[in-house]
Amino acid sequence: MMADRRRVNGPPGGTRPAVFASLSGSGTGAAERAQRQRQPSELRKIFLKTGLIPTASGSSYLEFEPSASLAAARANPKSLIPPSSALKLACTVHGPKPLPRSAAFSPNLVLTTHVKYAPFAARKRRGHIRDSTERDLGVHLETALRGAIIAERWPKSGLDITITILEAEDDRWWGDAPDSHDASWGMMNVLAGCITAASAAIADAHIDCLDLVAGGVAALVSDDEKQSSVAPKLMLDTDPAEHRSIVSACVVAYMPGRDEITELWLKGDSSKAALEGGDKRSGHEALVDGAVDAARGAHTVLAEAVRESLLKTVGQV
Amino acid sequence: MATSLPPVAVPGQRLGSVATYSAGPGTHVQQSNIYASIAGPVIVDPAQPKTQTKSTLRVSRVIPGANQIGAAPSKTSASTTKSRPRYNTLPAVDSIVLARVTRVQKRQAAVSILVVLDDASAANPDPSKLASDNDNVASILTSAANPENHSNTDELRFQALIRKEDVRAVEKDRVVMDEMFRVGDIVRGSVISLGDQSFYYITTARNDLGVVMARSDAGNMMFPISWKEMRDPVTGAGEQRKVARPF
Amino acid sequence: MATLAATAAPSVTPSLALPPSQFARLQPHTYLLAHLSPPPASNQPSIRANGRAPSQFRVTSANAGSLTHTNGSAVVRVGDTTAVCGVRAEILHTDDIASWSVSSSSATNSNKRRRLANLGEKPTEEDEEDKEDAGFEDEEDRAHMQDLNLLVPNLSLSTGCAPGFTPGAPPSALAQSLSHQILSLLHSTRLVRADDLRIWYQPPNLGPEDLERHNESEQMDVDAGQGAGSEESKPREIKAFWVLYIDVMIISLAGNPFDAAWAAVLAALRDTKIPKAWWDIDNETILCSDDISEASKLSLRGLPIASSFCVFEADAAAGWRAVVIPDAEHQKAQDQRKKGPQQKWILADPDGYEEGLSQERACLVVDKPKNGKGKTVIMKMEKHGGWAVDTEDFRQLIDISGQRWDEMKRILDQC
Repeated sequence: MMADRRRVNGPPGGTRPAVFASLSGSGTGAAERAQRQRQPSELRKIFLKTGLIPTASGSSYLEFEPSASLAAARANPKSLIPPSSALKLACTVHGPKPLPRSAAFSPNLVLTTHVKYAPFAARKRRGHIRDSTERDLGVHLETALRGAIIAERWPKSGLDITITILEAEDDRWWGDAPDSHDASWGMMNVLAGCITAASAAIADAHIDCLDLVAGGVAALVSDDEKQSSVAPKLMLDTDPAEHRSIVSACVVAYMPGRDEITELWLKGDSSKAALEGGDKRSGHEALVDGAVDAARGAHTVLAEAVRESLLKTVGQV
Repeated sequence: MATSLPPVAVPGQRLGSVATYSAGPGTHVQQSNIYASIAGPVIVDPAQPKTQTKSTLRVSRVIPGANQIGAAPSKTSASTTKSRPRYNTLPAVDSIVLARVTRVQKRQAAVSILVVLDDASAANPDPSKLASDNDNVASILTSAANPENHSNTDELRFQALIRKEDVRAVEKDRVVMDEMFRVGDIVRGSVISLGDQSFYYITTARNDLGVVMARSDAGNMMFPISWKEMRDPVTGAGEQRKVARPF
Repeated sequence: MATLAATAAPSVTPSLALPPSQFARLQPHTYLLAHLSPPPASNQPSIRANGRAPSQFRVTSANAGSLTHTNGSAVVRVGDTTAVCGVRAEILHTDDIASWSVSSSSATNSNKRRRLANLGEKPTEEDEEDKEDAGFEDEEDRAHMQDLNLLVPNLSLSTGCAPGFTPGAPPSALAQSLSHQILSLLHSTRLVRADDLRIWYQPPNLGPEDLERHNESEQMDVDAGQGAGSEESKPREIKAFWVLYIDVMIISLAGNPFDAAWAAVLAALRDTKIPKAWWDIDNETILCSDDISEASKLSLRGLPIASSFCVFEADAAAGWRAVVIPDAEHQKAQDQRKKGPQQKWILADPDGYEEGLSQERACLVVDKPKNGKGKTVIMKMEKHGGWAVDTEDFRQLIDISGQRWDEMKRILDQC
């Protein structure tokens, strides 16, 4: 790779991440897979606050509650290997501002989204330059928001939405080798968080929206040793580090007030799902419904956070 | 009128039916219901007997007096009914703006819009009333103040042009741009058109429009002495400008 | 000037009946000047537009160790400026260093061993350190730290922290300059010890005792516990180094990013734990222990704290306009200027608004050895952009920076 002259570069020969010697029998307990302690439909708590960055027209900070295993590892640290991680991100909104001189006239608000992982956000060190995952997240986020914003109220102006991910979700349990079922599952949780946080920041910036659009994730997981024998179960708000295998996952951006989905992203094989007896839904229907339920949960937090910051400003008068 | 209105609303919150109210700024209509589209206090503007039959529901983007530092607590002048509903804080036709002159050319002057004055506050300047929600002192103090020190700040502000024929109402053909504006002057203008993709067009062809603040060649703040001249209080030298009538 | 200030005082509505927010935007210089030099009659104290006294810093808070995927991390908030720093340690094998040769690893080995033995006996003390570091090891440490790029700080402003920094664009000039300031300060303060970053290997002797030891996979590392015992065996050699990637994300920028960024780097390094690592001869690679009780914290040299200032001048152009003729008349004019109304203010920890109105900047980095009981030591002193700050002013700034050191030490010790 060419040296980036605008950054401080490390050793030219490159470095390697630490390799831990004893994956088993270390006595630190790190080698055990974290177990989901929540009910299948129980969501993690979300911490969401708006207006923390005064230089921006709108801003928000979002954190997912750490999983039980991560919380335990934090309270009583034994191993340097974290069992899982919990999403932490900051979102800013700048604008409405003039469009760049080169841009054509637009009668609507022009939305730009940027999602960037901090280099230390994930288990593997991230580069400084945006990679395809980050671009992908940006595009998904833009679609999710575009359906919610009333763009024609803000002619010939632009809105920049920037998200910095300080801590991302894992794609799988760290001890598992990547396998055929593997995909970047953690990215879907990240997208759900991005949607909810961006929605809060846009509300903080007083940009007209049809509704507060919230993100939610559901997945079909199989935790059994013999994966083929049992059909995967539906779970909401899955932490990939807590499951042996995620077969399929879905993230939606959802507006409860209008019962509208502005963005849907489904990955994996959703043909088989273990649903309750009378449930006639197909796997992907159940998956989308699950994600919508998760988004409803996030929406409650979102509306509360927006209302809280509003009441705080009103209260100051 | 059966349901009572919430004091504040968040986007997507149902406020009332179109049968009872008409939808104002900060709201939108969906299946004959009015929903909030921004977060803010819910305000009902009573129906005006002659023109309207229904009261107007709106969500205010201004939280009166909030976040003001260094100013006395506002004697909140309850929102006056505006002549025209404003759906955003962008410059619009007939908006009064305060702008800094960035370039003076033979046929036009380029300005960078600093403040969009509210219709109401332009008509009746009330220092305690904010021009827009992101225009409070606290947020201004966090960001760089001086556009001259930051080459890219002007890209963040809306740009506008004052064409030669829009400078004043009389003797239009004898306007010499250099004698009307200098770079750095603060001008009060009125938006006449949204213009093209990059510029708004504004006019100063009214007595109350024109240069409101200017520094002399010597660097001192000048005061107006006539509609076309300002004077440096230290050196006593006069300079030509298209001067706005002081209040 | 006096008349100007009077008309513009915030309490008096300026000639145009503008609200303060608009006045602050239209005439920023006058606005700040009016706050700093209120009319004498008003009996108001000279105070900055943000309500602080000139030498007052913003409320600062720090919080360390909250990011999961780092060896050390910290969030520092200085007023509305927020910096998040994460430290990641990765391994640089000496095999991957082009210029590395056998000679470089073993030439100074005897010295090294002596010192390690030294370290093992006595816990590090400040006085000890001065003597110890003064000698020949300096050069080698410096060479390892700087030439091998063991410290890699990078600061990012492309986070939406303020309007005007395009996300996704390459680092702005400001970001580049801040990254390099952090790098050079890390090197000049020698904050991180090269010794903490070395991974040693003791080749086994062929004696039965050593073989047995090897079988038990006894590991060699920096803690030279068995240093004395292996005195007679083959010389130890460096097999690898830890490289610290120190990434700072400025999440919110409201002026003075350097102080916040440096404090975040400092707090994150104080939080950093390096796993125990050894050369595994079978796999020919470095392995680490994930046991937290075996990991070690960095032993940093001192606690250098940065304090930045900007100079606001009533008439910034005055100095440039004046015709400088070195004669008495000029001197008189200078004296007169001093007697007249205050012409310049040195503002500690400037916010974004003040930074935009000042040309001249000063930055001091100070430390107080012996846990704050020693005299203030200047680690770095920098000033550029003007000539308003003189030696006398600098003396005051050193005092202010010393007080700031006390405050920051309290904050960092709590986090």
